[in-house]
Amino acid sequence: MLSDLRYRLRALFGRERMETDLDDELRFHVEREAEKYRRAGVSEAEAMRRARMAFGGHEQMKEDVREARGTSLLEQCMLDARYAVRVLRKNPGFTVVAALTLALGIGASTAAFSLVDAVLLRPLPYANGARVMMVWGEAPPGSFYSNFDMPFSAPQFQMIARTETVFSNFGVFRKKTFNLTGAAEPELREGVEVSGGFFATLGGSPQLGRSITAEDDQRGHERVAVLSDWLWRTRYHGDRGIVGRSVDVNGYPYTVIGVMPTSFVFPDAAGMPPGMDVPRRTAMWVPMALPPGALGSNDMGLIAELKPGVSTAQLNDDLVRFQQRWVERYPQAKGYWMRPVPLTAQAVTETRRPLLLWMGAVLVVLLIACSNVAGLTLNRSVGRRREFTLRGALGARRGRLVGQMVIENLLLAMVGGGPGLLVASASVWAVRHFGPATLPHLQEARVNLIVAGFALAVTLATGLLFGLAPALGATRTNLVEALKDGGQRNVGSATAPRIRNGLLVLQVALALVLVVAAGLLLRTFYSMLRAKAGFDATRVVTFELPLPASAQYADTGRMAQVYGEVLERVQAIPGVQAAGFASVVPMGGETDSTIIRIPGRPPILQSEAPGANYQFVSPGFFRAMGTPLEEGRDIAASDILTSQRVTVINRTMADEYWPGQDAVGKQVGVGMVRIPLRMIIGVVADTKQASLREPPSPEMYVPYTQNEIKTWPSMQTMQYALRLRGDAGGIAAQVRKAVDGVDPDLPVAQFAELRTMVDASMTADRFALLLLSGFGLLALILASVGMYGVISYTVLQRTAEIAVRMALGAGRGQILAMVLRQGGALALAGIGIGLAAAWMTTRLMAGFLYGVRAADPATFGAVALLLMGVALAACWVPARRAMRVDPMAALRCE
Amino acid sequence: MVSIDLPQGTLDLLILRTLAVGPQHGWAISERVQQVSSDVLRIQQGSLYPALHRLERRGWIKARWGTSDNNRRAKYYELTRAGKKQLEREEETWRKLAAAVAQVLESA
Repeated sequence: MLSDLRYRLRALFGRERMETDLDDELRFHVEREAEKYRRAGVSEAEAMRRARMAFGGHEQMKEDVREARGTSLLEQCMLDARYAVRVLRKNPGFTVVAALTLALGIGASTAAFSLVDAVLLRPLPYANGARVMMVWGEAPPGSFYSNFDMPFSAPQFQMIARTETVFSNFGVFRKKTFNLTGAAEPELREGVEVSGGFFATLGGSPQLGRSITAEDDQRGHERVAVLSDWLWRTRYHGDRGIVGRSVDVNGYPYTVIGVMPTSFVFPDAAGMPPGMDVPRRTAMWVPMALPPGALGSNDMGLIAELKPGVSTAQLNDDLVRFQQRWVERYPQAKGYWMRPVPLTAQAVTETRRPLLLWMGAVLVVLLIACSNVAGLTLNRSVGRRREFTLRGALGARRGRLVGQMVIENLLLAMVGGGPGLLVASASVWAVRHFGPATLPHLQEARVNLIVAGFALAVTLATGLLFGLAPALGATRTNLVEALKDGGQRNVGSATAPRIRNGLLVLQVALALVLVVAAGLLLRTFYSMLRAKAGFDATRVVTFELPLPASAQYADTGRMAQVYGEVLERVQAIPGVQAAGFASVVPMGGETDSTIIRIPGRPPILQSEAPGANYQFVSPGFFRAMGTPLEEGRDIAASDILTSQRVTVINRTMADEYWPGQDAVGKQVGVGMVRIPLRMIIGVVADTKQASLREPPSPEMYVPYTQNEIKTWPSMQTMQYALRLRGDAGGIAAQVRKAVDGVDPDLPVAQFAELRTMVDASMTADRFALLLLSGFGLLALILASVGMYGVISYTVLQRTAEIAVRMALGAGRGQILAMVLRQGGALALAGIGIGLAAAWMTTRLMAGFLYGVRAADPATFGAVALLLMGVALAACWVPARRAMRVDPMAALRCE
Repeated sequence: MVSIDLPQGTLDLLILRTLAVGPQHGWAISERVQQVSSDVLRIQQGSLYPALHRLERRGWIKARWGTSDNNRRAKYYELTRAGKKQLEREEETWRKLAAAVAQVLESA
């Protein structure tokens, strides 16, 4: 064993020495043999000849000896690698194109897979993440709320708490605004209040102190707070002594009991349904401490950890049973049902579809890269048939030739893979910095080396497959025939050009699909920009004025008074042209909504009742926003609690509930019969509320001075809109001064220009567009590279033919046309197939489109033309080369 | 002159047996086998040298450079201790095999 190793090592490192030794040894043998013949009386020359004959193939035997030494594999690899380097260097065109293809293909797909991995596949950073469900209420199909996942209400939660369920732990949470005062600058932060089971359900443990338990969730004990890592670091400077200290929250002293780790961010806005209001970024958690018999709207998210071994069917049975009990108590809830969603799926519901779109795009790019590499290697191996045949004749066995191909491909992989990793890191970095903030876990995305390896392996396997087949074919051919034939025109088997053309058609088709998809997104973006927003964002700034939840502002009348005073003061700022406020300004978020009743319509089930969004506005709000008043009059300062109750509605509401009639003067009210009806005094144009791509929904605008329901909708915060005469410089300070005049403790939050908010609402769309355009461009480049490669190769193959044609009188123009025609025919085939494929696949992305059909003929046509143009441009260079063929020179070469 | 191709696996045995007499170079080994077997057994040169290197790798023979009878530099192989043991084992195996084959042939 030891001697074996020693021998092999010696063979490996003393290779030169052993080679000369072997040569000497074999030469001695031949000479000794010749001497034997000479002694037998044979002539000198004849003796040598016989000795050589008897000895057999010198090189072949040396090869066998090397193999017997047991070092051949490693040694051959090194030899092959050296040879491969030489081959790749001698063909810089091929090497650069192949390496570029690999780098781009591998880079792009690795980046995208890494993102998908981080966002979709990685487990949640909560201990129980995998077993936690969220439960949502679902309205009967066809009703106003049927498209939404509805949060829970306090009575529902309290009923679940009294019911035996399949949950081992469960908890609820709802958004709460915290006005942090005390030592530092007053700060307004969003967070949640949670029930006692919230932390136990998720299973996240704090980095400092403890989290909220059932004991904290009782009235009288609820003044405790758990801080998020970022709030702790920014406001409290990461002070480890914070636990046990008291902080001022909404005017009350709260004791800090713990700090959560960085990874614990639940709930964040990612993936929550539109009806569920959650903090953009949770700053802190406090106990909810609901009083017994609490009332309230559907504003709570429910998380529940299943008992071990509970099946989905059991869970659904449980929910059905609970819903039955609920309907016994509230008959109007008939028709509603409950839908459990695993937390893992919940966090990505909204973001999953764009990611799947990327995945599709990435797969297409990878396919194009593969077919490109396949085409390149196929071309080259066919060209190298002679080399392989010759090497076969000289005694190289098939194994060696295959090994050679493997080594060459591996080398190519290294040349392309390195830059590919760079491309991937750069892309991931770019996406993390410029990608939509709504994407959960995006910041955790890293280049995934396993994925990179996978992409590399796939492209290489393709290259190997297409490179190997012709190489193997070469070793199998009749050596003599192949060598005799030997000219350049020997293109090998008849199938090679067919495969090559097939690959090219495939590339063009795939690229077309991607570019069509990118084109559709581009048109979507364009329609969004041109969509009638119902407001004019120029020179409009908005801010939010949340009132602290303290005794001072407990009464809605007092709240309205404060909002009115602030409005008067900001209106008085010299640069302000118009000002107003609403519960939620356009682009400021979702509004509350309600079931409505319209007198004269038969009473029907709540589940089938009409509905509308419902919010407060001030006089002058529509003027400040630039929303056109289409009929009737605007809300006025004279609309107060004691006067006629009025409302302004939007165009969609008027057309939907009073089609063909004059809505102004009609009566409408919220679902509760004890609340009096309102008279419609005006109709305004539809406005986009959350994004430019949403379809309009019915809206009711109610004077903030006519809040007779008091408990709903909340008046805790209002959003102001100021239309300025000039630019926004210095306005923030003036607004602060105006608010100080009313109450210096009031925080001014979310100061922003409306234009910026409109832009922000389009981040996800812009991102999808950029990404798909990037992939589309990549596909175009790869396809044109492929086209160029194939056409140049064919021109090279046909040089002699072209020369003959020219000798027989064909003009240069005719030759040019011939080559372009060949490329054009391939491109046309690809475009045809691509159009059909795009027609079938773009309908999958209907959800991303706005203002354009999935089978938009203009986009399809334009992209087809673009591809044809690119294809012809790619053919142009080789076509010109063909045109310049010198017939005499080419024929002489024959 | 009738010659027989060597049965599989016997080449090693023949080389080891030949070297048991004393160190020899490659050519002499093949000549000797041919002579001793009255020209019946012939070692193909194409198999001889790979076999020698394989045996050397296994540590059964070792090589050193020496001077041949015609005053040339030649590579001589000799048995190692392990080689001697291996030869005994292989001879034993071969005898058993031959006897068994003969028995089968005669019984028919």
